[in-house]
Amino acid sequence: MIDIDNVTKQFGEGAAAVQALRRVSLTIPEASFFTLLGPSGCGKTTLLRLIAGFELPTGGDIRLDGQSIGHLPPHHRPVNTVFQSYALFPHMTVARNIGFGLEMQGRKPSDVAATVNKMLTLVRMEEYAARRVDQLSGGQQQRVALARALAPHPKVLLLDEPLSALDLKLRKQMQGELKRLQAETGITFVFVTHDQGEALAMSDQIAVMSAGEVQQVGSPEAIYTRPRSAFVADFIGDTNIVPATLLRYEGGRAVIRFAQGPELCANAASDALAAGPVQVALRPETITLTDAADPAALMCGTVAESTYQGAATQLTVRLETGPEIRVEVTDPPSPGARVGIACDAAMLQVLAD
Amino acid sequence: MARRSTKPRELRRQPLFTWVSWCVLGVLYAPIAVLILFSFNDNRAVMSWTEFSLRWYGAALENEGIRNAAVVSFKVAAIATTAATIIATMAALATSRGPGYPGRSAAIALINQPLMIPEIVTAVATLAFFSILRQVTGWTGLGWLILAHTVFCIPFAYMPIRARLADMPDTFEIAAADLYATPWQCFRHVTLPLLMPGVLAGAMLAFVVSLDDVIITLMIAGPGETTLPIYILGQIRRGVTPEVNAVSTILIAITVLMIAAMFTLQKKRP
Repeated sequence: MIDIDNVTKQFGEGAAAVQALRRVSLTIPEASFFTLLGPSGCGKTTLLRLIAGFELPTGGDIRLDGQSIGHLPPHHRPVNTVFQSYALFPHMTVARNIGFGLEMQGRKPSDVAATVNKMLTLVRMEEYAARRVDQLSGGQQQRVALARALAPHPKVLLLDEPLSALDLKLRKQMQGELKRLQAETGITFVFVTHDQGEALAMSDQIAVMSAGEVQQVGSPEAIYTRPRSAFVADFIGDTNIVPATLLRYEGGRAVIRFAQGPELCANAASDALAAGPVQVALRPETITLTDAADPAALMCGTVAESTYQGAATQLTVRLETGPEIRVEVTDPPSPGARVGIACDAAMLQVLAD
Repeated sequence: MARRSTKPRELRRQPLFTWVSWCVLGVLYAPIAVLILFSFNDNRAVMSWTEFSLRWYGAALENEGIRNAAVVSFKVAAIATTAATIIATMAALATSRGPGYPGRSAAIALINQPLMIPEIVTAVATLAFFSILRQVTGWTGLGWLILAHTVFCIPFAYMPIRARLADMPDTFEIAAADLYATPWQCFRHVTLPLLMPGVLAGAMLAFVVSLDDVIITLMIAGPGETTLPIYILGQIRRGVTPEVNAVSTILIAITVLMIAAMFTLQKKRP
């Protein structure tokens, strides 16, 4: 288990100082696939480098299984990294690359050879042991980088956008492979990515980061269906953010009302919002279209645009109150039609900010 | 149209370009060509060609003065090169790895500066400084000459090593540290092997510079410490002999081989 306790990281001094991380606190559970997700510049890679020891925190501490590691040099941390550029040693063969960590730990040559063989099998690269790394394709280099980082059996494996250099097909394949490796080895994986699809597909837990702060931590389902803020709702998947009025709380749920229609009991990201205008996240695929006169309709609008996407059709509906929202349906009305927007109240999420 | 002359590749189309080039190359290499040619001349008189012969090479190799001078030269060059290369490698690491520190660019300038100082100035300064040290310590011997050579070889060795290091991303070293390599293991197993072409290039440059140094050696060398260039200089005073031609040709051959090897090594990029 990794405990990130109030970690701050500042680059530079005085006026040129950049706050890369602002008092970040996180707990990464043992043997889980944990993803740090956010746009570039959000501090996710800095946090990874702090866990690896390539940078030292300006404030706060990092603990691994209760032991403080925040200020140890990288070679004293039982943590290994798969680098974005792989950083395979160009003057060594595949086998020597994989065995490097074990050799540095002073393991017996016979142990090193045995583990290297096991790792080669694990990443399905048996035939390539004697190759030089510059003779490998990107996907193969990726596997070697993984094997090299896993060989010393670290407590934590850090992965810095390792799939970003691969083409789409290979990326999908490696996503499955990474999941499999995590399950097989039982090692805690900390995965950094800006790709929300990747994060949703692979993670046990996701921490969404923005501007040096953790916005929300949770399972992919929780992050997707219960976003805390407009940033998270917008960053993860396609979403509509619609204004509504908060009337009161009832049994931990928020009673809200849209431009028209009945009062609804929605999920709320916070139970301490003041009554009045709030923002509500509404996923396009949870919306059902109904007649504009239907008393269940929460708002009305006209279909402005229709895009066929195979399994579903994406509609843009211009609301009578002004904004446009996106809707995904299987039996689309024709553009220009006046429609009512309805939604299961359980699918609505009142955002905290 | 006005731009045409600014393109470097258009230079070759300029009138007289080829002619001027050949003239410059001629001026540069004609004297050396003559020297090499006459080192194979079977005649004591330097000015007239009789027939091809290797007799002066034989004579040079049998000449005890030349042999002693060669031994001194290679001993000095070998030790000075080794020491200078080790120091230059450490200097290159200190000036291009790790976090920056105040005075880093000043340090780089200070290491390179001796290249810009006229050698005669360095020579006189070294002579004055060493005579004080010699007097204080009472030490004599080849060590002083080796020390002087080591010092002036450092910036020559430093240049290619630092250039290579600057081209080398530090991700490999970071990866090694991540894989439990101590700083020394990281240097030994990752930095040094990747830096090797630069180190060898620096060493060869230092070796060549040491091998043909005259001015500083002339000032520092004591009796019995005559190096090859100094010996040749002494012989020339008594007139050019074919033996000197032969020795010079051997020196040229060694130098050319070293420089060629250096360029080949430098082409291998990390």
